[in-house]
Amino acid sequence: MTIGRDQVLHAARLAEIAVDEHELDALVTQMARIVAYVEQLDEVADDAGVAPYAGGPAEVRLRDDVVRPAALAHPVSDMAPEFRQGFFLVPLRGTMEDEA
Amino acid sequence: MSAGAVAQETGAALARSDADGLNATLYWSQEWLDAQAGVIDRRASAGETLPLAAIPVALKDNIVTTDAPTTCASRILEGFVASYESTASARLRSAGALIACKSNLDEFAMGSSTEHSAFGRVRHPLDPERVPGGSSGGSAALVAAGVVPAALGSETGGSVRQPASFCGVVGVKPTYGRVSRYGLVAFGSSLDCVSVFGRTVSDASRVLEVISGPDPLDATSLDMDPVRPAAGRRDLAGVRIGLPREYFPPDLDAGIRAGLDRTIAAVRALGAEIVDVSLPHTRYAVPTYYIIAPAEASANLARFDGVRYGQRRVGPEGDIRSLYRATRGAGFGPEVRRRVLVGTYVLSAGYYDAYYRKAQRVRGLIAADFAAVFGTGVDLLLTPTTPTTAFRAGEKTADPVSMYLADIFVSAVNLAGLPALSLPVGRSEGLPVGAQLIAPSRRDELMLEVAAVIERTVPAAEDVR
Repeated sequence: MTIGRDQVLHAARLAEIAVDEHELDALVTQMARIVAYVEQLDEVADDAGVAPYAGGPAEVRLRDDVVRPAALAHPVSDMAPEFRQGFFLVPLRGTMEDEA
Repeated sequence: MSAGAVAQETGAALARSDADGLNATLYWSQEWLDAQAGVIDRRASAGETLPLAAIPVALKDNIVTTDAPTTCASRILEGFVASYESTASARLRSAGALIACKSNLDEFAMGSSTEHSAFGRVRHPLDPERVPGGSSGGSAALVAAGVVPAALGSETGGSVRQPASFCGVVGVKPTYGRVSRYGLVAFGSSLDCVSVFGRTVSDASRVLEVISGPDPLDATSLDMDPVRPAAGRRDLAGVRIGLPREYFPPDLDAGIRAGLDRTIAAVRALGAEIVDVSLPHTRYAVPTYYIIAPAEASANLARFDGVRYGQRRVGPEGDIRSLYRATRGAGFGPEVRRRVLVGTYVLSAGYYDAYYRKAQRVRGLIAADFAAVFGTGVDLLLTPTTPTTAFRAGEKTADPVSMYLADIFVSAVNLAGLPALSLPVGRSEGLPVGAQLIAPSRRDELMLEVAAVIERTVPAAEDVR
């Protein structure tokens, strides 16, 4: 797969890392080189059904990498009605103390 | 000698190495050493048994300590002091060791030359124009320069064995899980391993024995006794050593080959049986590593956001996401940013199966290669640690992939969670050559016992080319 400016900027947004315009071209070149290098794994044809290796004791195993609903007793909206930029909004500490 | 006297000597040696421009330390002070020494002397006077009484040990600065800053050689953590102590350093202190300094490293342990430190590169003790290897280059250089007899480093993909080979010291990476990762700043959690440098196999073994063993604070720690190799082995009779042909390519550096040839001859003369073996997926270890390690790093380093740790920058929009982006954009150096971005890319929607899941399966094949060879009755594998001796500073910084290939003989071990070590076996054109021993999982003791026999037989500082 080809790495260009759009892919690098998308990854930078996901990773929450500011990238200056003047360094973008060099970053695109380096990431394209790295991704092209790791793509040699496509040559490996005998990996069907191979279990991923995990170190450590046998009882510590990776859980299935699937999205699951959060098991909350009450919906989040009951406890914190306001949600912005990935955060729950709560009253300022001083406000809460005043009300108390 | 009292711990107080050792602290004075250690301080003088650290000051000399700093003045010489080694740039291997990120934190130490004489007051800090003296305060530790006071505690050690009081405990010794009270009759406590201290297995590492007043032995100076350097700590790679990605191992957290409550009485000294931990920077991971990154601007983003400048001035950060942890609120808890790592298990490894707590066990060293409990055994009476003197923590000599926090040592320089590639930022967040990402690199193979210790050129990627935000606080300047570490010099090779034998040639300041060359690199000491990495990422634990500060610890390796301090042991090689004679400043400390032992040091802790960490491995994610060879970051102790490779600098040990470049600097001509012993570097031991235990089986994944034999040393607690608690308090080791996470990089690639399925690979990370606190590891040890020593001037000799015996020095490294003494430190490893103290820091290893189960720890309830690390769920991946193995329920095994501390690593305690038996003393007294005189020869290698009955030991079967495999030479994996993929680690001896036709274009292997002539000096490295000469060092390995004399080691193989010595091992044979000591009574070991030498057999030719194959690890067919070896060539895929580095590309597999450079998918899995950056993927795990992208998740682990998400916590450095300017809110919870270290430095903070306010972004142009003034909101929280702008703060994250500005802090991380300015706080991470170029190699860390590259790896976090590559890791984010290979985990992102549409690419996960093609890169990450594929790499996980190939990792399984690499581990299976080792299991198959050890299943035939081979006790240990003997290989070069590095394809060349220490390279010149700046030689590989322009092309990240050429830097990654410096780890071509060491990264498979981390993917398979195996114990391995590097042992100096001679010098080529004045620079150290390292031989690597790789053992089956949980056979750390056998590996150290055999290494001690080889060490007595093969002169480490003799020219082979």
